[in-house]
Amino acid sequence: MRLAVFLPELLRSLFKKPNTVDYPFKKLDVPKDFRGTPFLHPEICIACRACERDCPAEAIEITSVVEAEKKFKMIIHNDRCIHCAQCVDSCPTNPVKAMEIDHLFETADFDRHNLKMEWEFVRALPKKEPKPAAAPPKPEPPKTEPAQ
Amino acid sequence: MKFTIPIGPQHPALKEPISLRMTVEGEVIRDADIRLGYNHRGLEKLAEERTWIQNIYLMERICGICSHSHTTCYVQGVEKLMEIEPPKRGLYIRTLVAELERIHSHLLWLGVAGHEAGFDSFFMYTWRDREVVMDILEMISGNRVHYAMNTIGGVRRDLDDLQVKKILDGLEVLKKRTEYYFKIGANEPTFVARLAGVGYLSKERAMDLCAVGPTARASGVTRDVRKDDPYAAYDETPFDVCTADTCDVLGRTVVRIKELFESYKISEFLLKSLPAGGIAVKAPKRAKPNEVLSRYEAPRGENTHYIKSNGTDKPERLKVRAPTLANYPATVEMLRNGFIADIPLIFAAIDPCICCAERAVELVNARTGEEKALRFSELRKLADERFKNPSLKRNAVWPF
Repeated sequence: MRLAVFLPELLRSLFKKPNTVDYPFKKLDVPKDFRGTPFLHPEICIACRACERDCPAEAIEITSVVEAEKKFKMIIHNDRCIHCAQCVDSCPTNPVKAMEIDHLFETADFDRHNLKMEWEFVRALPKKEPKPAAAPPKPEPPKTEPAQ
Repeated sequence: MKFTIPIGPQHPALKEPISLRMTVEGEVIRDADIRLGYNHRGLEKLAEERTWIQNIYLMERICGICSHSHTTCYVQGVEKLMEIEPPKRGLYIRTLVAELERIHSHLLWLGVAGHEAGFDSFFMYTWRDREVVMDILEMISGNRVHYAMNTIGGVRRDLDDLQVKKILDGLEVLKKRTEYYFKIGANEPTFVARLAGVGYLSKERAMDLCAVGPTARASGVTRDVRKDDPYAAYDETPFDVCTADTCDVLGRTVVRIKELFESYKISEFLLKSLPAGGIAVKAPKRAKPNEVLSRYEAPRGENTHYIKSNGTDKPERLKVRAPTLANYPATVEMLRNGFIADIPLIFAAIDPCICCAERAVELVNARTGEEKALRFSELRKLADERFKNPSLKRNAVWPF
């Protein structure tokens, strides 16, 4: 009887709990390296535009609002974001990254414009580096250090 | 009397568009013609407009199943162009993810083979157990499909002791399950009878037609980039190249199951001898003018990327040759003198990834057979004309 090979599998599956979870009521934990939604710590950002340059989806937009006051505006288009966390890797601020990614994944909305996130901030001074005279500041080389 | 019947372009064997035109004499296929171009996305042209870093994510999106293969192949080439050497630990983690990806791809293929052969419980079992390796990959990288593990000069996520222990536990489970599949395959005479002798490809023809990956290895050709031209950490890893000499779909199934065992062995070795140190080095922004051909053994076969740099932060040319494209000539050979009922099985046996292989489009005039490349504006004009003179009745209503 060839069918006998399948019997242990059949019996095991009969008495097992379902593998799925009751999603909206019960949620699974995401892994620690999960890439959710990117966000900015505006008080640390030095507006070097490394994240804007390296973003593969062109989802980050940094514009200068008031040039004399070194005031910048950053927009993250979460509708375009592919959640690769390259912006976190590219961010040169040390030791705390100005750009970070959280564990949020339930970001659906009826209108894609609602997914836009905006920050207006005064540029922080880069540590150990003299303040560049001209604005916008020159872009810095991308950093390829691990995110965590 | 000969007939030509179309298989596809919708859903020929897998859920991807490709057109197979079969010239049949009764039930027997006399000739096969493969038509591509339904899934062209212009990725190579797009890659010329993006920086080295941005291209990693673009390459990842060539294919969903071998996403790590394409990025590793690309990143290896760029590292050679930039003359940087990733640290040992980074290479080990890169190889580990590559092997886990091979496990997930082979388990997926085994399920597809079972499904095409009408053995659906096998399909359910393998796909259920594939979740184990998918969970491992999610734990390492944070993502299930596009792992985004590679960066120029190393990898992006490190492993800690707890993760290593969890991966080893998961591999233990998978090993037991794969042994069970091996037993099922050997014990189930209908499954073996369905696969044996189907899609014959002799060793000489496999060599002539440049078949790659498990398709070539099932015909007795010991061809494996991991052994022939070791990259990443494969030169330090002990493993065997699995071959079969039955030259049919059964051989391709056996090769893949054997490769699963090899992958478990490689992964365990890598995890147990994981060196300490950093996982990535800093990469420069630009690459000197040069060219490189990068080779990689993807789960489906040899994947090559040709990269040419011109001193800027963008590649001048990026050419991708996916393993499926290399296996198409061999597929035509396999289909010839087979039966119509075997088409999905033979075609699925090369583990085709249509969107991997769609790299260029050439337009052929159906009436004259003339081939030419068109500019986008000309294409637009043609589309407008077609839209203005529709051959079908628009706004037609149901007559009742």
